[in-house]
Amino acid sequence: MKDPAPSVAPPPNVRVGPNTLITGDLAFKRFHSKDPLALVIGANGTMDGVHFALGEQGRVVIGDYCYFTNAVLLCELELRIGNYVVIGWNATLADSDFHPLAPAERIADAIACSPLGKGKPRPDIPKLPVVIDDDVWIGPNATILKGVRIGAGAWVEAGSLVTRDVPPRARVLGNPAQVIGEVP
Amino acid sequence: MNADRTLAWDWYPGKIPKNAAVDETAYVETTFSFYFFRSRLPRGVDIGRGASTYLGTMFDVGTQGRVKVGEFALVHGARIICDSEIVIGDYALISWNVVLMDVYRVPFDATKRRQELTLIPTRQPRLAAADVPARPIHIGRNVWIGFDSCVLPGVTIGEGSVVGARSVVAEDVPPYTVVAGNPARVIRQLTP
Repeated sequence: MKDPAPSVAPPPNVRVGPNTLITGDLAFKRFHSKDPLALVIGANGTMDGVHFALGEQGRVVIGDYCYFTNAVLLCELELRIGNYVVIGWNATLADSDFHPLAPAERIADAIACSPLGKGKPRPDIPKLPVVIDDDVWIGPNATILKGVRIGAGAWVEAGSLVTRDVPPRARVLGNPAQVIGEVP
Repeated sequence: MNADRTLAWDWYPGKIPKNAAVDETAYVETTFSFYFFRSRLPRGVDIGRGASTYLGTMFDVGTQGRVKVGEFALVHGARIICDSEIVIGDYALISWNVVLMDVYRVPFDATKRRQELTLIPTRQPRLAAADVPARPIHIGRNVWIGFDSCVLPGVTIGEGSVVGARSVVAEDVPPYTVVAGNPARVIRQLTP
């Protein structure tokens, strides 16, 4: 068993630190950011099968020594991820609701997103940055929603749905995620 | 299985590991399921009579891990993260994107976790190999686990029980019990 071949070369507005490995054919399949420096990944990272799904204005910063397995990063605004962060298989981070809440606006958005909607402006959609501090562990199948900050050293159990900030060193579980104690 | 341990129908150019005992009546859709398999035990995986494992199932098994898939068990696409023992009982039905993990793979202690994360990029392949405690998972006979669910380290699910879709099972489930939710709670009892 060897490491799978690195994926296609990252787009030009991506900066990857030394000894960082990016694998998987889908890494940049949904990378649409036009920001001059849309994605920065630190040194010694392992981005195994990660989806970097960035909208046109999306910006993602990832620190050093991060280890992500098939994580899905959905970014329309900003994701800031610290150093020594682990994200488990199939976990999702999203900084946007992707569609508006109000019913009439959603109809307008559906039309704007449709094949007939070319050029139509989309309504405003709530977006808030997601911040993951250093030493956070996020388990497989977990979901982190917009506006959430996960404090340093926190532990997000597998399958959790995180809708609110997590204090440093807290261990959370559930949907919605609740603090169940400190990291042991 | 062919004599050289390849599968005639396989899209992935792999082999069934030598220490994987696959019954001749069992169906393994692809040897890609063993991509992360690194058990050194004489029988790291046991797949019983009439059992089947489909695409998406990954035996992410560490050097001392052992997985047993019972007779007629149907594993549709589970991520099996195992450093000690995971037993899937006879007639169990495991749905897609289910996570069965008997270990967290990295230490709880942030300082020790940093040490491990510093070592991972020096390894080939880049996998965690920290000495952290693992607690076996036992999934009873005739258990049904819904899609996207997670079973956390140390959990035993009793015979005949049902785990609803997207549940997270953090505590033991008694036999013939329906649980659902995150964390999973008892919904009702079943008649054996």
